[in-house]
Amino acid sequence: MRIAGIGYARGLYIVMKRDLDRFWKYKWWLAGLITMNLTDLFIFALIFNNIINRAYISNYLLFLAPGITAIATFASAFSIGREVGVEVRRGYTQYLLSLPLTRMQLSMGRILGGAVRGLIYQIPFILLLIILFGKLPVLAEAGVMVITSIMLTISMSSLSIVISTAVRSFDLQATMRSFTYFLLFFFSNVFYPDALISRYFPHALYIMISNNPVSIATSIYRGIFTPATVMEDPLILLLKLAAWCIIFLMLGSVFYLRNLTQ
Amino acid sequence: MIIWDVRKVARYKVFLIMRFAWFAVQVSVFAILISYLVTIRPSTGSGITYYEYYLFGAYTALLFSISMFRGYEIAEEFEEGIIEYHLSLPVRRRILAIGRTIGGGIASFIYTLPMMLLILIMLRIWNPLLIAIAMLSALAFSIGIVGLAINIVFGLKSGDRTDILFGVIDALLVRLSTIFYPLPFLSAIPPYFYTAMFNPLSSLADFLRALFLFEDLKPFLYLSQEQMISYIAGLAIGLSVLAMLFIERKAEGGGWR
Repeated sequence: MRIAGIGYARGLYIVMKRDLDRFWKYKWWLAGLITMNLTDLFIFALIFNNIINRAYISNYLLFLAPGITAIATFASAFSIGREVGVEVRRGYTQYLLSLPLTRMQLSMGRILGGAVRGLIYQIPFILLLIILFGKLPVLAEAGVMVITSIMLTISMSSLSIVISTAVRSFDLQATMRSFTYFLLFFFSNVFYPDALISRYFPHALYIMISNNPVSIATSIYRGIFTPATVMEDPLILLLKLAAWCIIFLMLGSVFYLRNLTQ
Repeated sequence: MIIWDVRKVARYKVFLIMRFAWFAVQVSVFAILISYLVTIRPSTGSGITYYEYYLFGAYTALLFSISMFRGYEIAEEFEEGIIEYHLSLPVRRRILAIGRTIGGGIASFIYTLPMMLLILIMLRIWNPLLIAIAMLSALAFSIGIVGLAINIVFGLKSGDRTDILFGVIDALLVRLSTIFYPLPFLSAIPPYFYTAMFNPLSSLADFLRALFLFEDLKPFLYLSQEQMISYIAGLAIGLSVLAMLFIERKAEGGGWR
């Protein structure tokens, strides 16, 4: 039983390792991605910081930084979906099926591979948060951050696989990916505080925006660095993110397996 | 070739719905909330709100994104062998290139026309001459960007690389422009200020703003309207000619990765 477990874990590791190795091929893409996130943080935030309403936010750079850290996981974790999409279109899945791995190992390996990409990409942004706030999280806070990041990247990676396997057309995949990014980014609390959303928008819309997985992760990060800005209990936030993670993980594996067997 | 591209407009219902939803989120969530958060009036003496300022920025970003999307479509055609079919047709290659560029530009413009009309209605703009100028400038911009997308796809001949490069270009050009913030606010960062000033997205967004909100927008303008429209027209002609030369002299079937 134990040997079977080790064998299973090894299969997962091989799939993940393959995806991680391929990640480093995209140096220019990574450079562009980092520039984009840093531009959002240092240009968007600094410019807006001069014209912001101080009644809502005292320092827009510090307000935006946790949100950028959360959304940074999107594009890197989503790169796995782009690759799965290429494999779907080119019929590469036949080769994957011929490997001495179970379908579940393949499916979970791909999702976790995308999650590891997102986590690696996110590390510098978390370090930047620590520098910007000048605060080193205590052990419990660091644990919450790690759990949050793992759940968020698994969610993003699974979501990307759902999108890439739901449609086969290259242009439609790109459109859906871009739309999902904008929905998660702009329909969240990354740019604006919850108080502002709840004041000007209907309650139902506020509930939708504040329960977007990127909003939840952003609130958790904000809660660690600026506890006064977040009203919701961190445990409730973690449970909500766990629910998203499980839903996306299940959908991701179902869609990937469906794609493998078609 | 122009009709071939334009006819495809009706086929992309999901694409259209998603783009419209993207625009709706931009205008009804992001723009509203940010306009409550920031004010651009006191520091510049401008009479417009951030919401009004951002509307044409959101439109420009959408038009740019949809025009670049033609590149994805051409990449898809490469994967399906349709490009080889086109190259084998008894049509001069320069006609093929110009047809695709203009057809793609018109199709992209048609996709965004409802959003432009929505903005004009929201701002209560009814002047037919100004609306016609705005539409022509948007069309010219779209043709230029489609020319750029064609050059990239035919040059790279790889779906993977096209996807990555388009993502980077889309993300960076939108951010390094005046889509989100007026040019004077960027003057503290000179490299960014000049990049934004000469970014074609800034030219179209600021030209549309100047066309309809000129008096209120004066403090934000560094280039004249004539300079901006010349830049947009130059971009359309230059990139179309480049696409034409590229397809005429370099393009061959096969070799797609």
